[in-house]
Amino acid sequence: MIEHKPLYQAMISAVSQTLENMAFMEAMEHFNPKYEIPTDEVVCNSILINDPIQGEIKLAMSKSLLLKLTCNLFSLGEDEIDPSQMDDILNELLNTIVGLFMTNLLSDNQEYKIGLPETEIAGLPEIDASTIVWKLMTSEEDAIQIFATGASLVELK
Amino acid sequence: MKRIVIADDSATARMFIKRCLEIIGFNDAEIIEAEHGKQALAAAKEQEVDLLLTDLNMPVMDGETLVKWAKASPKLANLPIVVISSAGNPAKEKQLLEMGVHRVLNKPVSPPAMMDALADFMDE
Repeated sequence: MIEHKPLYQAMISAVSQTLENMAFMEAMEHFNPKYEIPTDEVVCNSILINDPIQGEIKLAMSKSLLLKLTCNLFSLGEDEIDPSQMDDILNELLNTIVGLFMTNLLSDNQEYKIGLPETEIAGLPEIDASTIVWKLMTSEEDAIQIFATGASLVELK
Repeated sequence: MKRIVIADDSATARMFIKRCLEIIGFNDAEIIEAEHGKQALAAAKEQEVDLLLTDLNMPVMDGETLVKWAKASPKLANLPIVVISSAGNPAKEKQLLEMGVHRVLNKPVSPPAMMDALADFMDE
């Protein structure tokens, strides 16, 4: 078993810091733990954690939140946004969140390796007993969900 | 006028870094964008470049390989390199500094962190 800090809080801090620094938005735990992003509205991507633990992290949010983030970050109007810019922002958010999550989670001298983010076409993942879910929202109550899978990652819970 | 290469596979990250540079006073710098290390290396070899900002996790050629190639090149050996990555941690930072990297910053980078990292460079 590797030395680590609390897993749940490591992710909350990573999402909060990323949204605050990149998009000037606050993130907090969702007031309704049963809330689900409607499946026809959801956009999702994933990244692999390869070392020293193996797992996969998925990030999901509504298309409307992603559009809002893209407009804010690129300083463009909704009609000027290219879908590739939205994909790129979603991927950069996940990349940054997972990097911070691993830094928050592991001890200082522990190296880690993560993969490159990929857009998920299948939408929200199936949730089973081996999935950890973080349900968060922005200060404007837009939902953000994070899913973690992989035995060696989940056992740190 | 400074000429700065930004290497990151994400257009969002490159835009974010450019915005930080503008905020801290590099408004008139010429920015050359590269999507991976190989592109950045080619740009830095072709032109006179003052600074290289690079991510680590990139396709084709990652940031660590880019640093090794730059440090092995007589033309680029003294080029200041700042790594801006989500894959950084104290152990990786130590390794990169030993390789000759000027500073290592974690994403999401902020203007104050960028200003601190580039303070020496701005005085030149």
